[in-house]
Amino acid sequence: MTAKQSATLAEIFVKNARGAAALVETVEASRGAVSEALQKATQGARSIVVANGEWVAPEILSAARSLPNVLANPSDEQLARADAGITEAFAGVASSGSICVALGTPLTAAASLLMPLHIVLLSAGRIVERPRDLFDEARFGGEGLRRNLVFITGPSATADMGPLVRGVHGPHRLHILLLE
Amino acid sequence: MTDSGSKSAGTVSPREVANKSDRRNLLRAIRMTLEVQSPAIRLNTQDHNLRRYGATGAIPDYDALKDRARQIKEEAIAKLPELLETLGSAVRGRGGHVYVAATPEDACRYILEVCGKHDTKLVVKGKSMTSEEIHLNRALEGAGIEVAESDLAEFILQLTDEQPSHITAPAMHYSRERITALFKRKFQTELPLDSGEELTKFARRKLREKFLRADMGITGANLIAADTGTIMLIESEGNIRMSSFLPPVHIAVAGVEKIISARRDMGVFLELVAASGTGQKLSSYTSFLSPPLEEPSFAMPGKPRKPREFHLVLIDNGRLRMREDPVLHEALYCVRCSACLNACPNFQVVGGHAFGGETYSGGIGGAWEAGTGKLANARFSELCTGCSRCVTACPVRIDIPWLNENLRERLNQADGPSAMSGLLAAISSAEKTDARISAARIFFGNYHFFAKWGARLASLSNAVVGTKLGRIAMERWFGVDRRRTLPPFPEKTLVRAARELKPIKGVQPRAKAVLFADVYTNYGLAQRGIAAIRLLRALDVDIRVSEAIPEGRAALSQGMIATAKKQGMRAAAAVEAHIGEGRDILVLEPSALAMFRRDFSHLLEDKKQFERIRARTFEPVEFVSKLLGKSRRKAKDIFDISRSPVGPQIFFHAHCQQRTIGCAAPTEALLREIGFDVVTSSVECCGMAGSFGYKKDFYDVSMAVAADIFEQVTAAEKDGGQRALIASGTSCTEQLRGGLNRVVMHPVELLLAVLKT
Repeated sequence: MTAKQSATLAEIFVKNARGAAALVETVEASRGAVSEALQKATQGARSIVVANGEWVAPEILSAARSLPNVLANPSDEQLARADAGITEAFAGVASSGSICVALGTPLTAAASLLMPLHIVLLSAGRIVERPRDLFDEARFGGEGLRRNLVFITGPSATADMGPLVRGVHGPHRLHILLLE
Repeated sequence: MTDSGSKSAGTVSPREVANKSDRRNLLRAIRMTLEVQSPAIRLNTQDHNLRRYGATGAIPDYDALKDRARQIKEEAIAKLPELLETLGSAVRGRGGHVYVAATPEDACRYILEVCGKHDTKLVVKGKSMTSEEIHLNRALEGAGIEVAESDLAEFILQLTDEQPSHITAPAMHYSRERITALFKRKFQTELPLDSGEELTKFARRKLREKFLRADMGITGANLIAADTGTIMLIESEGNIRMSSFLPPVHIAVAGVEKIISARRDMGVFLELVAASGTGQKLSSYTSFLSPPLEEPSFAMPGKPRKPREFHLVLIDNGRLRMREDPVLHEALYCVRCSACLNACPNFQVVGGHAFGGETYSGGIGGAWEAGTGKLANARFSELCTGCSRCVTACPVRIDIPWLNENLRERLNQADGPSAMSGLLAAISSAEKTDARISAARIFFGNYHFFAKWGARLASLSNAVVGTKLGRIAMERWFGVDRRRTLPPFPEKTLVRAARELKPIKGVQPRAKAVLFADVYTNYGLAQRGIAAIRLLRALDVDIRVSEAIPEGRAALSQGMIATAKKQGMRAAAAVEAHIGEGRDILVLEPSALAMFRRDFSHLLEDKKQFERIRARTFEPVEFVSKLLGKSRRKAKDIFDISRSPVGPQIFFHAHCQQRTIGCAAPTEALLREIGFDVVTSSVECCGMAGSFGYKKDFYDVSMAVAADIFEQVTAAEKDGGQRALIASGTSCTEQLRGGLNRVVMHPVELLLAVLKT
């Protein structure tokens, strides 16, 4: 994929993710920049859960771990009451503005679901065009076909209580840091 | 409302009228929903439907994706027994359990056993229609287990003990105001709860504690991949993720038809289901899980952490029998997206508590209720008018009207004849199998016969039909609502009047065609046929009128399929003779045209004959557009808008079936090209839908549907003044004429008027 094409995918992703009520910020993929962005994003959070990672560079993930208020080895009770969860994304989907989270690594399922704020680290190079691209054996080594996945499009929402309400059982806010 | 004297319909509870095997329950449910639920249902279905157009339109290969989805489902259902084996091995290979339950009782018994093994006290449930079908909550609660429905819609229904009114938004019939009142009453709370946010927060708090304490989570599954045992779960609230992740035991309950061969094919459905159902690019969460999950289950203080356990409970309950049914097997392709509910004009005003049974609702719901229960439970499918707007909305291309026409046939046979049936069947040409059904069905289904005699004795029949006594008799015997104006029979039928027209002479014709003398034009609005002939002759088309024979629409709509087949085959042979002479076939009445272009695919034995006819059959304005395109003439060279007797401002309503077969756009385009200022209706149907709106039992539904188009006309005329009403269908014309008390023209009449001489 050429640089131009991937730039376009990122642009489409940002537009659609915002359309789905996610907060999207483009951040330079460096420890310093990510650390700064995360500090801002987690302001007011008294307890933060950071999931293990697989694709984001270790020094970037360690920026997340060194935030104040990160729970080192959270108990289930702490998970249930925490304010923010930080996970990385397995992939991003341009056409729908979704992030795709792969489960299986410690704390990923909990940190992407239980807290009111979910912060996601997405590498720009992992954005595909359409959701179905992750069901292609040729993409990301076919890992999308073997992992437990959740496509997350904006915060949790319901139309069951009359007008659309954002923030139901799942996170109320989805904050995506797009790492370029 | 015309509910006279009796106690208010609003006091009927949805559960009381859920089973509509007794037809009186259908009528009571219609009254109740129109009185209580209609505003919320209309708002929500129309919102979903509008979004669907946007979301499906944004998928670049939407049609190809639908073809692929259909193919995957067809293949899966064909080899279902084999896939059950594969899936069993895959799930067991991962340490899960699989159980195939023959009946609802069998499924509930198995689930209770699992509950017993784990000493289950609290179950959290995600929304699952299949669990409704097997009455799982009743079984669990009967065993003393607390069930917490965690989908907010199901949370509401659990409070009120109501059945779902919609397959993806089960409490769609509740407005915010009604939910506020309900919560205040049930929870005895002083909290204001005056907004969706407050209500959501209130329910979330109650449910969060349940999630954390639950011993078991029960979910459905939108699809299941046989090769990997992966289940696809679509939701927006996060409750299904919670139910499948937090408790140690997860049971997924799903019909066997949810199985497809391979996980890689799930990608095809991902966008398609979201776009078709809620009209989203994707719902908030779509999970692909191959349980049991690797993550440890949750354990709050005081509870031991248990190893994960996963059970996949697959429900047969008639599905394997449906698989053998020549018609109902189509329903097994359904992915339960709800597009057919939201696109349905009748569903939009009554919702699933009238247009639905104990579990399933909407156009596809009849086949499901019949397939998983009794035929009589599908009686609500009478509310399907065959308008066909769901056909293009269905992501797996199920011909839902055809399913309902077949259910109607089976119900007709089961119900047997009424008082006048024998006489009516004897004098009309109903097929033997269609003779032992109700008189109303025979009357509407053999309309051509009664219309023929009505027209032959036009002045007498118009006089009789004009009397109060005549209308009372028609209402009693045939169920024709006396509030409807019946279009008068013309003094001369189209066939007779056409003989008196001058043929074109001396010019080389640009094309040769036959105008099919459909029943509605020939014995009803014959002047439209004459206008079409004059228009086409002026454009140098050598055009004739066919003999007047029924094409089978009326019979088909009444579920008289044997009669429809006989009539269809005869009409097919007649038009093929014309095609053989190098003539194209033009059909004015869109419901008749749709027979040639769509429904004949079911009625004609010879599929090649259907293809031949379909390729040569046109809506007259579509034909004119094609002619202009071929001769490279511009619309303005031939038509002059300054001649318009109604001015340049028009409101055009295309017939429902005309839109489905793609014949509405050419009319709209041509009228614009000529220079008309066109506003088009955006309703799916005017509500008359052929004979539907004439029936006494459905008059109120028909008028409730019509309210939308009446409102659209009013809105279109608000600023710029009156617009001429243009409609292509005979029954749409009557709905607009009767409801707005205005003249309604057919596009060919308008085109003839603006033709340059």
